[in-house]
Amino acid sequence: MSLLDLRDLSVTRGAVPVLSRISLAVAAGEFVGLVGPNGAGKTTLLRAALGLVAHEGYASLSALPGMARARQAAFLPQTREVAWPVSVAALVGLGRVPHGRKMQAQDHQAVDHALHRMDLAEFRARNVLELSGGELARALIARVLAQETPLLLADEPVAGLDPAHQIRTMQVFRDLADQGRGVVASVHDLGLAARHCTRLVVLSGGRVVADGAPMQVLDDATLATVFGIRAFRAQSDGPVLMPLSVLP
Amino acid sequence: MRVILPLAVLVVALFAASLLIGPAAIGLRASLHALVTGEGEAVVLVMREIRLPRALLGLMVGAALGLSGAAMQGYLRNPLAEPGLIGVSPAASLGAVVAMQTGLVAMFAPALPLAALLGAGLSVALLFVLAGPGGGALALILAGVALSALAGALTSLVLSLSPNPFAMMEIVFWLMGSLADRSMLHVWLAAPVMALGVGLLWRTGRGLDALTLGEDAAASLGIPLARLRAQVVLGVAALVGAATAVAGAVGFVGLVVPHLLRPLVGGRPSALLPVSALGGAAVVLAADIATRVIAPDRDLKLGVLTAIVGAPFFFRLIWQMRRGAE
Repeated sequence: MSLLDLRDLSVTRGAVPVLSRISLAVAAGEFVGLVGPNGAGKTTLLRAALGLVAHEGYASLSALPGMARARQAAFLPQTREVAWPVSVAALVGLGRVPHGRKMQAQDHQAVDHALHRMDLAEFRARNVLELSGGELARALIARVLAQETPLLLADEPVAGLDPAHQIRTMQVFRDLADQGRGVVASVHDLGLAARHCTRLVVLSGGRVVADGAPMQVLDDATLATVFGIRAFRAQSDGPVLMPLSVLP
Repeated sequence: MRVILPLAVLVVALFAASLLIGPAAIGLRASLHALVTGEGEAVVLVMREIRLPRALLGLMVGAALGLSGAAMQGYLRNPLAEPGLIGVSPAASLGAVVAMQTGLVAMFAPALPLAALLGAGLSVALLFVLAGPGGGALALILAGVALSALAGALTSLVLSLSPNPFAMMEIVFWLMGSLADRSMLHVWLAAPVMALGVGLLWRTGRGLDALTLGEDAAASLGIPLARLRAQVVLGVAALVGAATAVAGAVGFVGLVVPHLLRPLVGGRPSALLPVSALGGAAVVLAADIATRVIAPDRDLKLGVLTAIVGAPFFFRLIWQMRRGAE
């Protein structure tokens, strides 16, 4: 079953094309890593898929009315801005906004579950403005988990996390995919993307230049042309990819 | 509830005190008896025509300023936002000043609040034209700043063209904000407009909560941001426009009250709305009582008092913020 369907999606800013005719379908059970250099259009693709920026072409989610879409897909923006000194539990509870006005038993359960998954159970009463950057990032991920949507879109979810929590977060996303949900996350760390994603989509200059199984997508040619780097590959309980040097 | 109940008790107590304190020394029982039954001519006149409207207006103006301040800060995600930011208050003042200057007020007393409401309405229409239908918070603030500057300049122009110093003095005193010498007419004029504003802001709690996470996240949570913005701007404009129309410019309440009460509700914008309305009512009622107690024969201005008391509060907040940051 397709959770996200994009057909010929284009976004232009002024006269500059940011995305050109992107077609992409994400099925249940997939953890899609969106990779590409800075300015490739990863963030714009995620926002356009949700209808947060004006676009041409078809995006299945942006066609839905707001609340219905919010029950279908959760979005974790790249900016980690929290305006008010709310508690971690209240912040995570915002994920339940699309599910009704009053918090019910199942909403509290969803919040507890998300806090536990992100290793934040003992932080629940803490003021979010007093958290460290990485802790705040985890609380914001817990918020999208609490939304309990079939599809999850995340813009650089693991940036700024310590190694253990990077791996743990990627594993949480992978578990969600294995349980039949869909995840699309933009990731800069190719090693993490190669190891945990079920599929990678490489964006460059607003176009999809490669799409498929991680280690096939990240071959020498793509790494050289898109990223301008060379990498070391191995197998150790799964694929290992380590960028080594910038190509001249 | 933990915060609302004590605040509500405080507001009721201050409302009662506002009814019972004044230059005409009337006993507690006599005044309440006159208010309720309407027996005893002079006392009834004082209670029903002077003190009741004054207390009601204190309650309404304070609640309006507190509520709109909380909504504005929530929408702009900024603890330094205040309801005057969108230019409604200076525009309402301009309307009132024009009504006084042209002599309309002398012919027809309700002309002043009506002209102020008209000024507020015009400024909101202009604000929407300037800020555009979709635009974010930044366009709104810039348009509001531009409108405030224009309205302020035009008010100064009217003042400088004033033919006689007494008319000018009257205008300047009005601009300072006061609840003295108001009648039930002011209450009836302000009430429906304020009710509209409350109705608009009451439904914004969920959207304001979601905005805690930023505009993109709120939109992805299903919050229609353009509608939310329209609700907040129109609601704030109705409340502040009506408050300015009947009381003049009362500063600092909309800025300081939400700021002070925010920690007590765990920072949640939706919870802050009712609490801030009660807090604003308490502050304005208390300040209005203070103007009567401190200098009963000198007509101390309410707006001056709230600013004099409010500013040091703000100094303290800044001080605490600095200490917390270091």
